[in-house]
Amino acid sequence: MDISFALTGKGYVLIAADTTAARSIVKMKSDEDKIKVLSPHLLMAFSGEPGDTVQFAEYVERNMRLYHIRHNHELRPPAAASWIRRSLADSIRSRKPYAVNLLLGGYEPRERTPHLYWIDYLGTLATVPFGAHGYGAYFALSLLDRYHDPEATLEEGLATLRRCIDEVSKRLVVSPGKYKVKIVDADGVREVEL
Amino acid sequence: MARRYDSRTTIFSPEGRLYQIEYAMEAISHAGTVLGVLAKDGVVLAAEKKVTGKLLDLSGVKDGGYGGSGEKIFLLNSNVVAGVAGITADANSLVNYARQAAQRHLFLYNEDIPVELLAQRLCDLKQGYTQYGGLRPFGVSLLYAGYDPNYEFQLYHSDPSGNYSGWKATCIGANNGTAQSLLKQEFKEDMGVEEAIGLVLRVMSKTMDSTTLGSEKLEFSTLTLDPTTKQPKAKIYKPAEIDALLQKHDLGKKDEDTEMRA
Amino acid sequence: MSRSYDRALTVFSPDGHLFQVEYALEAVKKGTCAVGVRGKDVVVLGVEKKSVLQLQDPRTVRKVVMLDDHICLAFAGLNADGRVLIDKARIECQSHRLTVEDPVTVEYITRHIAGIQQRYTQSGGVRPFGISTLIVGFDPNDTRPRLYQTEPGGTYSAWKANAIGRSSKTVREFLEKNHKDDMSRDETIKLTIKSLLEVVQTGAKNIEINVMESYGKISALDLSQIEAIVAEIEREKEAEAERKRSRLAATAAGQAAMSQAAGTQQ
Repeated sequence: MDISFALTGKGYVLIAADTTAARSIVKMKSDEDKIKVLSPHLLMAFSGEPGDTVQFAEYVERNMRLYHIRHNHELRPPAAASWIRRSLADSIRSRKPYAVNLLLGGYEPRERTPHLYWIDYLGTLATVPFGAHGYGAYFALSLLDRYHDPEATLEEGLATLRRCIDEVSKRLVVSPGKYKVKIVDADGVREVEL
Repeated sequence: MARRYDSRTTIFSPEGRLYQIEYAMEAISHAGTVLGVLAKDGVVLAAEKKVTGKLLDLSGVKDGGYGGSGEKIFLLNSNVVAGVAGITADANSLVNYARQAAQRHLFLYNEDIPVELLAQRLCDLKQGYTQYGGLRPFGVSLLYAGYDPNYEFQLYHSDPSGNYSGWKATCIGANNGTAQSLLKQEFKEDMGVEEAIGLVLRVMSKTMDSTTLGSEKLEFSTLTLDPTTKQPKAKIYKPAEIDALLQKHDLGKKDEDTEMRA
Repeated sequence: MSRSYDRALTVFSPDGHLFQVEYALEAVKKGTCAVGVRGKDVVVLGVEKKSVLQLQDPRTVRKVVMLDDHICLAFAGLNADGRVLIDKARIECQSHRLTVEDPVTVEYITRHIAGIQQRYTQSGGVRPFGISTLIVGFDPNDTRPRLYQTEPGGTYSAWKANAIGRSSKTVREFLEKNHKDDMSRDETIKLTIKSLLEVVQTGAKNIEINVMESYGKISALDLSQIEAIVAEIEREKEAEAERKRSRLAATAAGQAAMSQAAGTQQ
């Protein structure tokens, strides 16, 4: 039931994910953080099989940190995306695959460009201007098609994100109440209010 | 007494030295000279070839540095060329290992391996051979000339102990002391590749034993950025190109005809 | 003899020595000097930096490295051995975080590193690591600075202040004389530099200082800062020498006067 959106703008990537932890039809928790900060310029929203998600996210987080501290520089977003995709592709061919879908947002300070990747549990990787996972995707993608602007300011980007969230709460039978939004840009990673 | 500590595998001598490594370095100081210079828009490598002969077939060299009878300069990855000094057979297996390491990185991260990381990979292997397995160390030093987006153009040197360090200009092999001091005098920050090529050839001509430079004694390569794609481009010169380059810098063999006329 | 590769290289000699370990310590003594000093709520790592050659890239010469956000390591001995051991320690730091969620404590990672070093004194066909390390840092949720040392044999120990590498004995003796408990940040830095100056003749340009003030808060002093402190130390030494001279002169004068007085009395 996890819902996550992400979109790029001028010099930033915004990622939003709901904060509900549910089991069957029961809400267990409503302040779960489903967006991991992987490195100073890298964010990852994860959704899918509960347990798998956290396990995999932590595995990725530690490997990104290890690369950073071993080589004195962080992995560039495209390289990080390739490594994560490879991990999932290896995983699905193993005896116990991870069922995890990801949105990976990064910013490259050298080239001053935002990067966004859509990755699913099958090991699919796509470079996208915007993306979504979960039931939210059914409602949000058409809105994003219409309103997304790669040159949008942060305010405009947040407004587009708000449209998506509003549409989901209007149309989806069981819509989550709260979202967490994080941004990555030249200044690094931080949480923003909707 | 020394025999106890310098036979078989690498172990500490009572003074805390590793003789096997020191001997390996000794072997390298007799090998053909390899010289590298870092310029602001590229890196230049040159090497003195030891295996020469009129009948040596060099026609198999392909573009990009694969194949042929290259003895000293090898392409490790599309963004790194290396010059080797020492035991050629050891060098071949290290080059092979480096190429595999570079491909493994490409496979995992879908990007060219950062130059320092490649040097580190090789050095980890070299260090391993000084510590376990009952093996002798690799008798090879390398110069790596490469490019990556993080630190742009780079030049590294690694030795048999598994140490490495970055340089603006350096030299390994025979006569490296002479070459090093020449480089120190003549190196300028902010040099362009063209100027660096001139410097490398000048220093090479002074340090090599033979009186005239020619393609049969020299290997040469540059690493620059392709102006259109902005991707690193390695060029390992073919014999004819080396001769042309030497002519251009007035260091080549004088053509007998022109001498007669003059 | 031909199967010697699978036998332990480090074996007891008849009189009970492990020669390979002792020889590895000799290799450490050839390495550049590193000093660690603990203050009240700060810990300082200082290392002797070899002069970077004119054409060398200073970025690639690293003597002090981070193992994790909150732990720093300096080593003396064979550089390549150091790099390999550091890499193993870094992996353990992240692996520990992954398995138990907490960052490693300084003692844990020290024990881990010492454990690796120990294994290389007892396994078949390997020589010991030719390095000693100083490990400094803060434990998570703790304000006490920590300083540990490991050696090629695999022993580790906690210290208030210690030195490894070239002339470490001289430096250690100096530290024993001058270390006080509960030093402030500036005092700690000054003592570190002062002790390094015992072996580093060339002054500030060959000294590197890293200061860790709390969990994850680490900074390196730049050259001008170190130069200022070195100058201050030299001034103090000068003043001290001056005082000694004048005191000596005074006592000499006093003695002269006394003997003169004695002379006239006779």
